[in-house]
Amino acid sequence: MVAIDMIRQPKIAAEDVRNFCIIAHIDHGKSTLSDRLIEHTETISPRDMAEQVLDRMDLEREKGITIKAKAVRMFYSADDERLYELNLIDTPGHVDFAYEVSHALSACEGAILVVDASQGIEAQTLANLYLAIEHNLDIIPVINKVDLPAARPDEVAEEIEDLLGVDASEILRISAKEGIGTRPVLEAIVGQIRPPQDGADAALRALVFDSHYDLYKGVVAYVRVMEGTIEAERPLRIMSTGQAIEPLEIGVFAPTMRATGALRTGQVGYVATGLKNVRDCRVGDTITTASRPASEPLPGFDPPKSMVFAGLYPIDSEQYADLRDALEKLQLNDASLVFQPESSAALNLGFRCGFLGLLHMEIVQERLEREYGLELLATAPSVEYQVLGRDDVLRIIDSPAELPDPSEIEEIREPWMEISLFAPKEYIGPLMELATSRRGEFRRMHYPDARRVILTFSIPLAEILVDFHDQLKSVSRGFASMDYLFEDYRAGDLVKMDILVNGEAVDALSIIVHRDRAYDKGSALVRRLKEEIPSHMFAIAIQAAIGSRVIARSTVKALRKDVLAKCYGGDVTRKRKLLERQKEGRRRLKRIGDVEIPQEAFMAVLRLDQD
Amino acid sequence: MIPSLHTAGLYIHLPFCLQKCVYCDFCSYTGLEAHYTAYIKALLAEAETRAEAWSNRSFDTVYIGGGTPTVLPHDLLIELWQGLERRLPIVSREDREITIEANPGTVDTLFLASLHEAGIQRVSIGVQSLNDHELALLGRIHRADQARRAFQMARAAGFENMSLDLMFGLPGQQLEDWQRSLQQALTLAPEHLSLYCLTVEPETPLAAQIASKGMPAPDDDLAAEMYEWAQDLLCAAGYRHYEISNWARLTAEDERPDLMVPALACRHNLKYWRYESYLGLGVAAHSFDGRRRWANLEDVSEYIARCGRNQDTTAFCEELSPEQQLGEAMMLGLRLIAGVSRRDIEARFGVNLMQVYGAEIERLVQQGLLESDAHDRIRLTRRGRLLGNRVFAEFLR
Repeated sequence: MVAIDMIRQPKIAAEDVRNFCIIAHIDHGKSTLSDRLIEHTETISPRDMAEQVLDRMDLEREKGITIKAKAVRMFYSADDERLYELNLIDTPGHVDFAYEVSHALSACEGAILVVDASQGIEAQTLANLYLAIEHNLDIIPVINKVDLPAARPDEVAEEIEDLLGVDASEILRISAKEGIGTRPVLEAIVGQIRPPQDGADAALRALVFDSHYDLYKGVVAYVRVMEGTIEAERPLRIMSTGQAIEPLEIGVFAPTMRATGALRTGQVGYVATGLKNVRDCRVGDTITTASRPASEPLPGFDPPKSMVFAGLYPIDSEQYADLRDALEKLQLNDASLVFQPESSAALNLGFRCGFLGLLHMEIVQERLEREYGLELLATAPSVEYQVLGRDDVLRIIDSPAELPDPSEIEEIREPWMEISLFAPKEYIGPLMELATSRRGEFRRMHYPDARRVILTFSIPLAEILVDFHDQLKSVSRGFASMDYLFEDYRAGDLVKMDILVNGEAVDALSIIVHRDRAYDKGSALVRRLKEEIPSHMFAIAIQAAIGSRVIARSTVKALRKDVLAKCYGGDVTRKRKLLERQKEGRRRLKRIGDVEIPQEAFMAVLRLDQD
Repeated sequence: MIPSLHTAGLYIHLPFCLQKCVYCDFCSYTGLEAHYTAYIKALLAEAETRAEAWSNRSFDTVYIGGGTPTVLPHDLLIELWQGLERRLPIVSREDREITIEANPGTVDTLFLASLHEAGIQRVSIGVQSLNDHELALLGRIHRADQARRAFQMARAAGFENMSLDLMFGLPGQQLEDWQRSLQQALTLAPEHLSLYCLTVEPETPLAAQIASKGMPAPDDDLAAEMYEWAQDLLCAAGYRHYEISNWARLTAEDERPDLMVPALACRHNLKYWRYESYLGLGVAAHSFDGRRRWANLEDVSEYIARCGRNQDTTAFCEELSPEQQLGEAMMLGLRLIAGVSRRDIEARFGVNLMQVYGAEIERLVQQGLLESDAHDRIRLTRRGRLLGNRVFAEFLR
């Protein structure tokens, strides 16, 4: 591999460089198409080609999604007999990671829009497509999976024609899985996407669009050189902070990091900075040359904002320090993860963590458990509330436990989102019902094509956090998709609902709810907890209360019988092991007073609307 | 620590049945009639192989269980018994207890008389229920009247020490159904009763039927009622409760105040609960020598083949640490209604029970599951008998 690469370092002029990304909905085939492009250009020998090269994390492969943007450089001998350098910058497809998409788009001149031939365009694809158009990218629409029986490429082509104004008959039809139509896609990339502007003589301006932390190389900044050149041995500087960089290595992604010693105008690659903290070299920063700095940085990005907050607690409290170390390590590669220590009477010591969305939360929790061997308990996710006190002080809280006494509160404000639901028009009724049952306020409706509708609502974020996406899929038989954007903070009649187990409030189970929804949520929660909490030697009362007023209750009956009748033929070993297993199972429960609560109970609040 | 020149129990496993019961998950097979003779021969070969290691003990209890031992022809059973007597140090007739399990539908008076004559003194009859509907539901091959007849035949054959097995907590069984079965069983005047709560074992036909809603799941609260009711009835009827699931009829001998268990208790099973040694022969049989526990392989053909070549038939063996031994001794000893003697534990394990398990015992006493008398014994309370697993688990690490 190294030998081949040494031979293949042709010097390519900026006019023969193409920088692009792929926009697609989850499962519409972005990763598969990437693989085909990488294969076709022989960037990796077929022998070394693991499926879906770009999605490196196990989790990404399992969930079929891309979490972090990555890049790969390819060389392509086109039909015009010229050799092109193609840089594919990978983008995440999930709405939680929308902010990363705009980083990737800023580094490109073009985008391939991949649309599934049976599913058509989905809400998130549309949102990313609009972003790409905003970034003034050249768009190449491609219809994928045309080989599948359910494919309806003609209809999908018309949808795209309506949307982009391109001639339906000219839209490429491919099967990335079968490798059909790969070369036409490559031809379209060199033919339809413009080359980067040539600014070789200007002062260096390189945009940092992603980064990761490497034990030996420090922070590795993923850059797109907009103007000028990055050369070895030439000190660099980060424009926003003035931080000096002595680059340890400069190179490209092929697709693993390959040192090249320099990056020229229009190229995409990396700079190993040796910096020890990702915060010293943030995504959106501009890198310039220390000796001849540019006068203006490139337009940056807004830092990602946490939307969802939850407590993460080790099941075994001795793992607290390990959890802190693991969070710190994850944060090196994921600047969007924030956390601070938190303590709970029920769960002891843990961390209050901020996430971009529920998927992000799920991924962080899974990575902590899988990669760091931790056993974790997550509390119900919460949004960030603004609490205006009678003293006129505005407090920001992201946990029900922090809510002051009602007598001290003037008003509570919660974040509202503008949510777009995209579905075939026959689902208008169920979608309306779903959104309004979650306090959604209808805004408008429009038809991007003859068959489908986009419904826009204003809705409290807290109402779509939990379970909304699943419900959306279930009322629309999987056809609807959604996208949302922060709108504003609005005052609401919000109250804190506590859960009492045998009279004792369990802080980790408290939630903030709208007063109109409190009774329903309270009843559902105590019912769910009754199922999750095993019988004890005594009866257990579970109550939902607002202040001192109990609004719902249920009882777990006392256990009367737990004894093995017989010990067959002296098989004492089996009996002992059975009891040891039972005991070990109980050891993993959380003790609240005398009551042992399984970790599932703490997640019960997540599934309230599934009854 | 290892009892030497001591008595031990002998368990014989005969893994054959005419039909598998729906709840059964122990080692038994149907349709192996052609192997009966070879199996008995193999079992006697195993007895011979194991005899040397057990030469410093004598066996004062023998329990022939299954399966259904009485599916074998009586001459084969007698050949087995006589073969065992020749190969192993079994104590003389007046000092021993020899039990055989018998199932209604597989015995007649002549058959039973020949067993009695051969020296088997005790018979345990797997009645399970005296309600035909319940028997059919359990997949038993007999009806209630056959069970009564089997019992009467055994009496007529000369057995003076007889036990009945009954099951409660069956799917759909009502309290009145159980009361009727138990009251009818008492009219037979057995010396001993074992009342087992049905356990739904995984991977049995019963578990599958319940999972597919073809049968209601047993109701634990109702089973607890049935058990409570049985304790009261049997006490009033002159039976002494001596183990969680076992009762024996009181006799004149039981007037002696120092007896911790009734005279008619099953002496063989007491060995398990008192953590004494036993040797198990036959497929899947378990043995315990005070320190190690082992089990034989389960496959009949393989067993016969290995015994024929004088090869070892052990499939599993564990060496128990002193700590595990103590935990097991507690788990088993507390099944006895008389409980565990601190003096006995100290004599056997050289530890003070309260020093090792003081906190656990105190907690269980507080929870009302254990009681301890001031000087020596700790035992389950009446409530604790239904929550035994919660108690036993505290003594395991």
